[in-house]
Amino acid sequence: MTIEILYPEICNLYGDLSNVEYLARSAGARVVSTSLRETPRFTSEDVALVYMGTTTERGQVLARDAFAPFLDALKKRTEAGGVTLVTGNAMEIFGEYIDLDGGERLPMLDWLPIHSTRRLMKRYNSLYLGELDGMKIVGYKSQFGHSWGEVGEGLFTTLRGPGINPDAVPEGVRIGNFMATYLLGPLTILNPPFARYLLTLMGAEEPALLFEEAAMDAYRTRVEEFSDPRRNLTY
Amino acid sequence: MDKHTPKPRGLNAVRFYLALWCAKLSVPLLRITRHNGTNFPGELALKLCPDFLKFVARPETIVTVTGTDGKTSVTNLICDMLEGAGRSVLSNRLGSNINSGIATCLITGCTALNRPRFSMAVLEVDERSSRRIYPYVTPDLTVITNLFRDSIMRNAHPEYIAGFLTDSMPPETKLLLNGDDLISSGVAPGNPRAYFGLERMDSDVTECVNRINDLRVCPKCAGKLRYEFVRYHHIGRAFCPDCGFRSPDCDYAGGDVDLKAMTMTVRDAGGEGTYKLLSDSVFNIYNELTAIAVLRELGFAHAAVMKLTEGLHIAESRYRADKAGSVEVVMHLSKDRNALACSRVFDYISSCPGEKELILMMNNLNDEMNWSENTCWLYDCDFEFLNDPSITHIVTTGPRARDYRLRLLLAGVPAERIDCVREELAGVDRLRLAPGSHIYILYGTDSMNMKLAAQVREATIKKAEEAVK
Repeated sequence: MTIEILYPEICNLYGDLSNVEYLARSAGARVVSTSLRETPRFTSEDVALVYMGTTTERGQVLARDAFAPFLDALKKRTEAGGVTLVTGNAMEIFGEYIDLDGGERLPMLDWLPIHSTRRLMKRYNSLYLGELDGMKIVGYKSQFGHSWGEVGEGLFTTLRGPGINPDAVPEGVRIGNFMATYLLGPLTILNPPFARYLLTLMGAEEPALLFEEAAMDAYRTRVEEFSDPRRNLTY
Repeated sequence: MDKHTPKPRGLNAVRFYLALWCAKLSVPLLRITRHNGTNFPGELALKLCPDFLKFVARPETIVTVTGTDGKTSVTNLICDMLEGAGRSVLSNRLGSNINSGIATCLITGCTALNRPRFSMAVLEVDERSSRRIYPYVTPDLTVITNLFRDSIMRNAHPEYIAGFLTDSMPPETKLLLNGDDLISSGVAPGNPRAYFGLERMDSDVTECVNRINDLRVCPKCAGKLRYEFVRYHHIGRAFCPDCGFRSPDCDYAGGDVDLKAMTMTVRDAGGEGTYKLLSDSVFNIYNELTAIAVLRELGFAHAAVMKLTEGLHIAESRYRADKAGSVEVVMHLSKDRNALACSRVFDYISSCPGEKELILMMNNLNDEMNWSENTCWLYDCDFEFLNDPSITHIVTTGPRARDYRLRLLLAGVPAERIDCVREELAGVDRLRLAPGSHIYILYGTDSMNMKLAAQVREATIKKAEEAVK
């Protein structure tokens, strides 16, 4: 089993790459890193998961330009059921555009039905509690903007906290097994059920997780905390 | 009035002097009510006169110190040396480094008629507050110690902070930059500048071993950077094979670092000096080099600076060691929510001799009161340094104890070396206190955590002393 990380030299903020580490170590998968000037492996070989993590504002542009020639290959992969996970502001790279401070519009890859805003003076921080197929999902958001668009049910259904924008119930975007979410950081480690879900989609049989008991212990505590109505979710 | 300060006129003058006098009046009142050391005077002044910083009198020479890590230590070192040389220096070293703290400092540094009482100021400035300070206060020299990842909520990432500083820096301010840090050394490229840096050390490597390296691609062409050497994270000397971009030559180069003799040589265009090292940690060597470079920029001769460093020491407020029974109890600040600062502490502790036991209690309790600490930083942080045979036992404590335990397991620390307890003080009961060992209490920066850390320290000392009775 192979997991491909796209552009880890720039898409690596906030511990995001630990998602791949955790899945790979749990499943004994091989990890390949594709840098900005390389052709993604998924275009030519069997890759169980393609992953892209959070990046800087400059990184969004670099990743957009680097990935543009391979967008059609990703669409084909998605139509064929291939699994892709995109976290944090990397989701915006696959959207239509980002509206910047001062009115400038930054075109993005124009695949996902979302457009985003970026307000560099307004950092938005939040905790998140949602659901996917009956699994509780917990996570963190720390970003400069939000997204809008017709995303259907999204990736997660929000129980507490913001969806793709503070008024939205859907969080993230899902097209087949292409999954994009604003949640960032160690999402799979924070959510062992989601990690197992991903591994199953990736083809692992009876997936077991590394230090599953300790991970579940931390997960249960966090689900309880984030479900507590007395706990604020926005920083 | 000094060269930097415009004179308020008309309504501005009324508003400004009202703000100045009210703020000045609040200082003794705060002292009487034992609230000294707060930002209140500055907050009040800025509320009454939003342009207060523009008009308040300031010393003839202003040095500001900013950056992610080391700014307090560097500010202290510069002030200590200048005061050692007989200069009267205005500084916010005991106050806050945001705009209201700077305002408070300048209020204490001027007369009721808005005349400066000092000829020089050394001000520590919070990076994010720079856009509220530099439009009004033009430093002669700004030092940027380094730029690293810090609080995800506030600082996002170092490129963002570099942009902040670039946008707010007055064009005439000379910058003194860390030439070994290609993020901070790129700030405000149009400004006059000088660089400091440490020449290659024995412990340097050619591939980064840390989880964070925020400069892997060339800032100019996005080609893959190569490092002549890496000290930690993105600190080192790099070049781009594609476009030729490279780390700048250093105007103040520290070299020949001898940790046995505790000396280093600093070379610059004016000669060189051999300096006593104040600490054996690389971070503090950088801090000392930075302070020396500032004194050289201010015109002091090497011989004079060498003399001034003789009596110096790094403030130990972040580190305190006490002998208790048969062990040593060490309080060590390990800045919460800051992956890089904790990585440096972990690296340092793992390299210290002897058997070690750790209590991890860097939880941010203020966050916990309001929401829940964002734990992303745990996966940016090199907990792998704690997977060292000399660290025989780690007690994870506090609201995030379970998260620390999981992170340690993933870092390869054997489960039998980890204890996980919710209550910090209960963590003391789990300590094994092997004779001759060093007990490190790693605590964070929020006030609640610091108070609790003091209690944990006392309980640990008590337990260690009782163990030998």
